[in-house]
Amino acid sequence: MSVDISLRVNGAEHRLAVEPTETLVNVLRNRLGMTGTHKDCTMGICGACTILLNGQPVSSCLLLACQADGEAIRTIEGLERDGALSLLQEAFLRYGAVQCGFCTPGFLMIAVALLEKNPKPDRNEIIDALKGNLCRCTGYTKIVDAIEFVANN
Amino acid sequence: MASDKKQPDGQKFALESAKQQALWQREFQQIVADVQGQALGPNWTANSSPRNIGLPLPRNDVLYKVRGTARYAANISMDGMLYGRFVRSQEPHARILNIDVSAATQAPGVHAILTADEIPQDRLLVGTHDNDTPILAKDRVRYVGEPIVAIVAESVEQAQQACDLVEVEYESLPVIFTPEEAIIVGAYQIDAEAEGNIITEHRHDVGDVDAAFAAADIVLENTFTTEPIDHCFLEAQAGLAFVDSGGTLNLLVSTQYPHFHHEQLARVTGLPMEKIRVIQTVVGGAFGGKIDDTIECASCLLALKTSRPVSMTLTREEVFIATTKRHRLKFRQKLAATKEGHLTALELDILCDGGAYRSYSRVVAGRCVVHAGMPYRFPNLRVHFMTAFTNHVPSGSMRSFGVVKMAFALESHLTELAAKIGISPIEIRKRNGFVDGDVISTGQVLQDVGLLKTLAEIEPIYERRKRELAGVHGQGQMNPGRKRGLGVACLGYGIGYSGIRNPSTARLAVSADGFVTAFCGTPDIGTGSDMALTQIAAEALDIDLGRLRVVSGDSTKTDDSGPTSASRTTYFSGNAVCLASEDFKRQFCTAVAEKTGCLPAQVRIDNDRVIVQNEPLAFEQACRLIADDVDAIVGYGKFDPDIEIDISTYQGNAYPTYTYGTHLVEIEVDEELGSVDVVRYWAAHDGGVIVNPIGAEGQVEGGIVQGLGMALWEKIVRQEGFIVNPHYRDYLLPGAMDIPGELSVWFVETYDRTGPFGAKGLAEASIIPTPGAIAGAISNAVGVWPRGIPMESEKILELMGHYSADAAKSATVKGQPREPR
Ligand code: FES
Ligand code: FES
Repeated sequence: MSVDISLRVNGAEHRLAVEPTETLVNVLRNRLGMTGTHKDCTMGICGACTILLNGQPVSSCLLLACQADGEAIRTIEGLERDGALSLLQEAFLRYGAVQCGFCTPGFLMIAVALLEKNPKPDRNEIIDALKGNLCRCTGYTKIVDAIEFVANN
Repeated sequence: MASDKKQPDGQKFALESAKQQALWQREFQQIVADVQGQALGPNWTANSSPRNIGLPLPRNDVLYKVRGTARYAANISMDGMLYGRFVRSQEPHARILNIDVSAATQAPGVHAILTADEIPQDRLLVGTHDNDTPILAKDRVRYVGEPIVAIVAESVEQAQQACDLVEVEYESLPVIFTPEEAIIVGAYQIDAEAEGNIITEHRHDVGDVDAAFAAADIVLENTFTTEPIDHCFLEAQAGLAFVDSGGTLNLLVSTQYPHFHHEQLARVTGLPMEKIRVIQTVVGGAFGGKIDDTIECASCLLALKTSRPVSMTLTREEVFIATTKRHRLKFRQKLAATKEGHLTALELDILCDGGAYRSYSRVVAGRCVVHAGMPYRFPNLRVHFMTAFTNHVPSGSMRSFGVVKMAFALESHLTELAAKIGISPIEIRKRNGFVDGDVISTGQVLQDVGLLKTLAEIEPIYERRKRELAGVHGQGQMNPGRKRGLGVACLGYGIGYSGIRNPSTARLAVSADGFVTAFCGTPDIGTGSDMALTQIAAEALDIDLGRLRVVSGDSTKTDDSGPTSASRTTYFSGNAVCLASEDFKRQFCTAVAEKTGCLPAQVRIDNDRVIVQNEPLAFEQACRLIADDVDAIVGYGKFDPDIEIDISTYQGNAYPTYTYGTHLVEIEVDEELGSVDVVRYWAAHDGGVIVNPIGAEGQVEGGIVQGLGMALWEKIVRQEGFIVNPHYRDYLLPGAMDIPGELSVWFVETYDRTGPFGAKGLAEASIIPTPGAIAGAISNAVGVWPRGIPMESEKILELMGHYSADAAKSATVKGQPREPR
């Protein structure tokens, strides 16, 4: 028994029939081909699947697709403007905030949410915002640096 | 959506097979072009400097990573592809009496089921060094999580549901969970060829250890323990296998060593090497954990069986349960010194839990033996290293191959010794640390040793913080109930494989429009090695960085250059690229000379121009000039330093070069909770000339934070062979809030005479000193010495004599179980 839903992803409307048990991350990745949102723990701990739901960061592995019916979703694919990197993406690139990059989509989305809510966070506020995202490569410092750069510009 | 097997869909694929093949072919070519295009080379020519080495240039691959378009293996899909899952052992050690797949065969969406019975015995076993690990267990399982059956279906869910329907009948066998039990005479022999359950045993004896201990002023002796830990790369093992219309088996996979899988697949499938192509996708971290076979052989066999693309991705839980771990170690260390603080002898007796198969156990042992006592002079040294089979998931390679554990013990003893004789922890290391001309225990003479330079960088900071902590706050007392401490530790680490040749090769080709491509087998696993190789090639050729592309990790397009592991890529492949550049320039200049009617000696490349008899040509102009001949120009370089250790005597050249460093950490211990906060951290490294400072800094920072996790929180907990914390909620990784408020990394200036433009390599090394530095800091703060890692709060409280169960329960300041967002 499938459910008809409509997802507004990065401004575009998608109508599709999903199983009631399908998670949003699976629908984004497998149905919509938007593989920028990554999946690791599927338990809401690593943050690799972080997306914005009505501006709020959520773990899309814990959300059922039908729960997001009609809501506004933003993913990493929506960060560029007219093919140009956003300042945040540019900062991640320049500051060495990305190594293997598997965690990057989640960190970018959490940073977007933070900066929209609080455009001038201090270092502690940035660190606090990142506490639900894991990165095994960078040691976090350069991720914090990159976000701090954007906050100061 | 669950369709029945064989039906409409199956028919569609059968009937339209020619069309389908053509579609797949197009899809696949596009995927490969994408994957390799992302790694290729700079899309920008932002480098206005004539130099390429030492610049913090951003990486090409990162562009795709911040856009969300990077081609990780699990992001790749093909029309009609199938998904594979494993049935895994629920027993730590058992005979398999029967495998009943009848219900699974009937399950919706299932296309194929693979068991060991279908694989000929001589093709069943795989492994990096020993070919001892069955792709699927046959008669016996040796650990919980061992794969027994692989099933492909039209969705992951269907494959999993079918797996759940498989009934395996077991007959339990005696279980062995510690190496101590494993080596008892009469213990059940886990591996048919390993008498006494010994995977590997090494002895190394230099000088007269007994006499040195008898004559010593000071002797320290303790037993140290370490727990198994997981790599926790965020991207689980994943791959896509596809047989193309020409019959070539293709595997796109997240790996550290595509050529290893290439060779294994040839043996396992019986296909000739040229009918197999393994291509590395973008890799989401590895740290030594993507160098064994997991999904590779099974997915390929299933692709051959079904003639469909097969995708396999492990779940996070499977990564924890069924892929290699850092070895669990227990060892006795005994150290002798004079009262002036000169080290005279070291004795190590090490026993290691190797798990159920060999994996990298021998490599870890070999490296640990050679690194015993490093980076200090020990005239007398005795090591006994033994690794035994148990019924645990195999232990394998992980960042530093065990050296971090040895360093934990050695650096603890060094600091303790300094305190005993009343000198600073820096001073003791200065008195004993390696300098140029020192001879290590294998007889190798060292050169270009930057250890003392790193100590000299750290010393003033240590002295200043010591004064400040003592002066302002008295006894390091910051807040009531909290005590600060400083800890120092050093590292010395050999680059490349231990004591065996491990050459790397590179080829350089040029196109008529002026682009140069470097082909090199060592893949970029997320560290930025492709960028480093690009910078080295641009420097060696003296052309603009924007002209360079790199193709790495493709078994068809590149030669086997060994794996990206052991911190070897910048050094080994960088050197190969330098040698290839020389060969390239010779051929290139000859071709230009022929066309312009001068002598090759009158042509040279200079700052992105080609100078022909003092007349400068733009590089692309010169390439156009020789357009007809460019295809023939292939610069080849092979870097194969003379590395060889005689395993019976442990004498010889262990590594072509060594990287060094000194770390200083300031921590705060909560006396009531026993918890440790890392407040400040300073790290000075000798990695030779640094090719890309921002990349190098990132490697060091990442290693330090992994080291913090290992030192304080991380451990795989097992009960009766089952891992009880196979998820991030209870396996505590360091998070952003755990990093020190101040974290400074810098590089001392050394030039390695054997390295590409003086570079050494350093990726793994930064994890090595961290646990030892933290142990020293804990002792400095609260006067106790933890002898096991992780140094959990309960253990610290217990040592302090403050332990109470209530306090332990509330010790949740750091390293608390994580809650989902
Ligand atoms: S995959 Fe969703 S939080 Fe880890
Ligand atoms: S960059 Fe690899 S996990 Fe963050």
